[in-house]
Amino acid sequence: MSTILERLDRLPKRNLTVLALKGISTLVPGGWRNLTSADELIADVMGSTDPELIAQVRARADALSQARHEGYSRAMSLYDAVNRSQKAAGGLRVLANVAGALPLVKQMAKLTPASETLQAADLSLKVGAEMLAFTQVNGLPGDSFGDFAASLGEYAGEASVRMAAMVCFDALLPLGDDALQRLDGLLGRVGKRELRELPAYAGMASLIPGRGDDAHLRFLRQGVDTWLGWAGGFASGLGLSGQKAVRALEGTLGPWQGGFDQLATFLDAFTDTYQHTGVQAIARRLVERAAAEI
Amino acid sequence: MSRILRWGLGLLLIAGLLIGTFLFLPFRSWLPGGTVGDVPTSEVVNGTAFNRLFPKPQQGESIVFTQEKRGFSEARLKNGQETRALLAISDTTTAPEARNKFASTPERLQGWPLVEQGAQASALLVGQRFQVKVIGQGAGLDASQRHELLAAFDLRGLAALNPTAPSPRALPQGQQEPVRVPVPGRRAKETVELSTPVLEPAA
Repeated sequence: MSTILERLDRLPKRNLTVLALKGISTLVPGGWRNLTSADELIADVMGSTDPELIAQVRARADALSQARHEGYSRAMSLYDAVNRSQKAAGGLRVLANVAGALPLVKQMAKLTPASETLQAADLSLKVGAEMLAFTQVNGLPGDSFGDFAASLGEYAGEASVRMAAMVCFDALLPLGDDALQRLDGLLGRVGKRELRELPAYAGMASLIPGRGDDAHLRFLRQGVDTWLGWAGGFASGLGLSGQKAVRALEGTLGPWQGGFDQLATFLDAFTDTYQHTGVQAIARRLVERAAAEI
Repeated sequence: MSRILRWGLGLLLIAGLLIGTFLFLPFRSWLPGGTVGDVPTSEVVNGTAFNRLFPKPQQGESIVFTQEKRGFSEARLKNGQETRALLAISDTTTAPEARNKFASTPERLQGWPLVEQGAQASALLVGQRFQVKVIGQGAGLDASQRHELLAAFDLRGLAALNPTAPSPRALPQGQQEPVRVPVPGRRAKETVELSTPVLEPAA
């Protein structure tokens, strides 16, 4: 298995994913740089370009990312599972759209973007994955709940582009501008069946605390409740809306004629924004630790 | 053969096969557990013990803890929104090679060996075991600012986490300084201040 820094080195420099992220980053203060070189990241953290130091940090980071209990690789597999599921679901919906356009099969394949409930379940799974990945990468930092909340805020701030992407691609575009207000109600309708329909759930179930689907559902709902408080402030602070997101994306991807939910389907099926920013976020934390330990 | 005996033999066979599989096939590397250097977790100080030893933030600054694992704790020193430095304490038990760089350094801070790593990082080895590090971020910090931050850690409390460590004055043979006569009464006070070593059970 390749290490996290190797994966960072292999990230694309320019493709649909990068363009979508560039587009969404125009909505976020501070912007986003597509950092795809491990050596550059290490030099940035260490404030030094000494090749020997960089090699030492890299060796330590590789040892850390291969150590199973350290959690970095486990967080990576969470992001991978969510990404696979998103692509599979998006691909199916694209297929349904195409099939719907053919006159013969039109009646059979009803043009169905995922139902809102399923979309809400998908979002809750992503939020859950995000929280689990946070604890895998960072442990439980600090001695008090206040310390932990500050740490979570710091991580989210660092990952503001991925958060903006999550709010826009998975909430505002498919569910409408009042998505964050409606989400709680929508999640109330999510049952075990919806949860099981999500391919990512199978991959994540063993990492979610609690035993059985009901316990997992409770955990996800609590996670979303916590996240909603933060995301609501984040979205209103930046004035995020579906319209704004589409305009930002059009800046890099080109004009879009279809509906908002179709754009969301398209992004789900053809981009890896979640995984791409995930690798970058984990790599930074990993390098920060390795730099401190050499 | 009775039914119970047949069942018993069958189960025994299955159990034997399973145990054999786990012992002889290279499954071990997949299973979770262990530390980076394959050191037993009970021998590594948990990161929780380090948190209270970090410097207290000054006016306008804040300390945000970012990572806490077994043998490691890291925080960011922030001035408003800007990150000024990474502060970290690590237990070198899982990375013994990190100690080598301190062997030849003549520099000392409060009696502990000090090493510069590149233009932005300063490292201190406390109690021959715990590495304290300050790495300047963003605009950067000069060496004296970094040393000030290193000195602001509770180094004495950190040394006390390692019960077998010598006192900071105990340099290697041949480099030792003349023995100083202890001030009566002071020693007792110091030992009161030091808390008991924290070696927590495995997580």
